[in-house]
Amino acid sequence: MKNPILFIAFWIALLGFFAWDWVGSDPVNVHLEPPLIAAGSGRAPSGGHCASTF
Amino acid sequence: MKRFPLAAVMAAFFVFLVWFVSLRQAVLFLIGIGMGSVLAGARFGFTTGWRRLIEHRDPSGVLAQLFLLVLAAAVSIPLLAAYPTDLGAALGPPSISLLVGAFIFGASMQVADGCGSGTLYKAGMGVPLNMAILPVFAFGSFLGSAQLDQWLQLGAIKPVGLVAEYGPLPAFLLTLAGLAVFAIAAMAWAGKSARWFDRKLFIGAALLAVLAVLNLVVAGQPWGVVYGFGLWFGKIATAAGVFDPATNPFWSQPVNMANLSQSVFMDVTSITNIGILAGALYIAARKSSSSKASTPLTSTQWIIGIVAGFLLGYSSRLAFGCNIGAMVSGISTGSLHGWIWVPMAFLGSLIGVRVRRHFQF
Repeated sequence: MKNPILFIAFWIALLGFFAWDWVGSDPVNVHLEPPLIAAGSGRAPSGGHCASTF
Repeated sequence: MKRFPLAAVMAAFFVFLVWFVSLRQAVLFLIGIGMGSVLAGARFGFTTGWRRLIEHRDPSGVLAQLFLLVLAAAVSIPLLAAYPTDLGAALGPPSISLLVGAFIFGASMQVADGCGSGTLYKAGMGVPLNMAILPVFAFGSFLGSAQLDQWLQLGAIKPVGLVAEYGPLPAFLLTLAGLAVFAIAAMAWAGKSARWFDRKLFIGAALLAVLAVLNLVVAGQPWGVVYGFGLWFGKIATAAGVFDPATNPFWSQPVNMANLSQSVFMDVTSITNIGILAGALYIAARKSSSSKASTPLTSTQWIIGIVAGFLLGYSSRLAFGCNIGAMVSGISTGSLHGWIWVPMAFLGSLIGVRVRRHFQF
């Protein structure tokens, strides 16, 4: 750790963002859980990816 | 910093994901931790490997990267052929935006001393410039995705996937031949006396290949980094009321609208990014006592580094991925855009190392 103040500020900001996001986002419907392994599940991938145009 | 409390926090977050989100996301978090640990532990830098080849004629980093691509492609391509509906390749369209984006990304990553994965793991390890770059990287990634439609109007063709186009065996042989050409070119540039094998980097490459394939098998899509950054900033911009995703061609797409409204813990790319940060932090906890203090950056270096960080984010969206999304995932899943990305990013790196030298990084 080369800059403790920046290091602490970075992690506080990051964890703060995740906490804010969790509280403000739609609740997770655990009954619609995605398959643990996509390969062989019969379901098409549905996440966003940097290579996609949509 | 102690490792045990860190491990306890990571374990607690894993249980949280299992209980409140999904088992798949918890497993992807573990895969991300593995990626961050390997990247930080082996100091597996895509940027550094290219720079060492350009400046010191040391091909060991680049050859380790090619080894990673061979291993990942050898497993990913047959898997994509076996499960064509369950697994997706990293298919980006060959386009003007790809040419421009990859070139700028290649230059910027040398100045910022980190690509997508490099910025993440170095930020996790506490490297000051990379920690400062992460937010502007996210802003650039968001802005690039928001303007992607305008860039695509300059000229683009449909994505080309070698597996769907030619079948798994020809696709793999074509990939192998292309990587062999890269390896021969790197060896020829380096000269006969150059040391080409670095054991630590090759072990890192093999482990990263395993983790990249696991990401594909579990998530159904290849490893990516920069989509998650753009999503993070997009959520902030939307919540602040300065951005309306419904009027934007990219963010109004159903998958992106859904990601904006649900927790980032549900997003595949975000959860592996979080894992990479955590894995790198864990490695840094061990290394902190022995790491050497580096010279503090000047004001000019900070400004140049931050600007490069913004350009990293913006250009990676134009290029349909960074070293991970476009190069590792693109090439290992048979996407033509990965093969266009590499030479353009390398040309950019030739400029970037000179800019880096000029500002005495």
